[in-house]
Amino acid sequence: MATSQENNGEQVLYAAHKKIYPREVSGYFTRLRVLSLVTLLGIYYVTPLLQWEGRQAILFDLPARKFYLFGLTLWPQDFIYLAALLILAGLALFFFTALLGRIWCGYACPQTVWTEAYLWMERKIEGKRTQRMKLDKAPTTAKKIRTKVLKHTVWIAFSLWTGFTFVAYFTPVDELANKLLSLSLGPWETFWILFYSFATYGNAGFMREQVCMYMCPYARFQGAMFDSDTLIVAYQPERGEPRGSRRRGVAPTSVGLGDCIDCSVCVQVCPTGIDIRDGLQYECIACSACIDACDEIMDKMSYPRGLIRYTTENSVLGKAQRVLRPRIMVYAAILLLLCGLLVAHISQRVALDLDVIRDRNTLYRETRDGLIENVYTLKILNMDSQSHRYKLWAEGIDGLKLASDQTEIVVEAGSVYQIVVRLQADELNLEARSVPVSFYLQAEDSNHLSTVEEARFVGPGETR
Amino acid sequence: MTPDKIPFSQQAISVLWPSFLTAIVATGIFFSAFNPLDLAPFNLDIDISPLAAYSIGFFIFWMLATVSSLGTLYFTVSNCRFLSKQGQ
Repeated sequence: MATSQENNGEQVLYAAHKKIYPREVSGYFTRLRVLSLVTLLGIYYVTPLLQWEGRQAILFDLPARKFYLFGLTLWPQDFIYLAALLILAGLALFFFTALLGRIWCGYACPQTVWTEAYLWMERKIEGKRTQRMKLDKAPTTAKKIRTKVLKHTVWIAFSLWTGFTFVAYFTPVDELANKLLSLSLGPWETFWILFYSFATYGNAGFMREQVCMYMCPYARFQGAMFDSDTLIVAYQPERGEPRGSRRRGVAPTSVGLGDCIDCSVCVQVCPTGIDIRDGLQYECIACSACIDACDEIMDKMSYPRGLIRYTTENSVLGKAQRVLRPRIMVYAAILLLLCGLLVAHISQRVALDLDVIRDRNTLYRETRDGLIENVYTLKILNMDSQSHRYKLWAEGIDGLKLASDQTEIVVEAGSVYQIVVRLQADELNLEARSVPVSFYLQAEDSNHLSTVEEARFVGPGETR
Repeated sequence: MTPDKIPFSQQAISVLWPSFLTAIVATGIFFSAFNPLDLAPFNLDIDISPLAAYSIGFFIFWMLATVSSLGTLYFTVSNCRFLSKQGQ
């Protein structure tokens, strides 16, 4: 290890990968974590099965270009909501990182969630940490092959289920299941199921902590959101050092040692293979496994718990701790403001869209009655969940008349209706060659469903 | 430690992974604005399903972003080699 002292951070960062065998751990934070992981996995696998008013509750219907979110149907025009939602998610990450540190990494990140699930399967099949290490070192025997084949079979089955569920967010789940059972899946559906399964299998089965270390941008810049009051997992060196082994029940002071018995259990349980006693490291995903592991050891030694604990830099330094600090309040204010804007905007959203396209072939024509006539093609998009009958009129010129061969405008739920209309005006009322006009569209059964679209009316002009 | 000493697998990930994320965003924005059924590329009369169109669009974006990331990596690595040669 003498040469490694000369290594700078980068060399350590890009060191050759050594397989990590995290030791099993139990305790308060582990239970909290398992609860979080199981809940999140449950949400992922159950969501596509939920039904709402006769269709899948959450579905990105790509062919129809609609996104169903319970009672709400979003269209490509509503892309802004998705963008806003992503910005909100980003801000929420800032806020929670400043407040609680890498709580996302340890408790909620899909990489963590699936890695833990795969690790759980691995433990059930291959056994505890020492058994797994022994098995990997052991020569190839029939039993080893059987164990490995079993593990990978279970992993692959779980991956395929994960991939199937992923595609079920885009293709209705019952349709997808029927296609699968009758072996008539489309090539792209098959591809995406396999692609997602493979990604899950690779990331959760093999890559694991390497994803956090080499692929995750958040892991690299989260430090920028930290301040001295951010919650971190830390070892208390002033209490633990000098570390050293001793018999159970021996008071640390009597042997001139700190509370750390150097049992290395905190290192063995670490899913990223670091030693928390070396201080805050960017590999640490704050999973708190070392806290539970150390507390268990402290209990056995009859020492007080919390040699490794959730704390803050200020607390470690004996300074006053502040939860409400400017950074937190600014993040919270922006977050609340954006949330409010989004909710207000969605509640004000009119499920109706009108598109006006002027006839490009002729600027204007004259009717038999001597009126100037412009032709427009109107596209009416009913984004509501029920069909409506609409009133249409135009304003902007004195005595402006609207005529169409289609007398009734009824648009089915979630469909587009096209209508050709003619606007007629007396030339004397045209104040310029091109005059702005407004098309008004209003649902007959709902005052809320109305929209206005601007267009231009073109006349001869030069006569005036 | 210069970028040219980073193992190949990690170089590959540093090219493929950011371009994958970029492609997801690009696909989302592009297909929100354009319906693939309205787009007949180069006036070709091809009949493909929407899912196929979205998928192919995604891979085109991924490929383009990969080319860009690859360029960045190539220039970084070759610059480092050049600079270290000059240093000798």
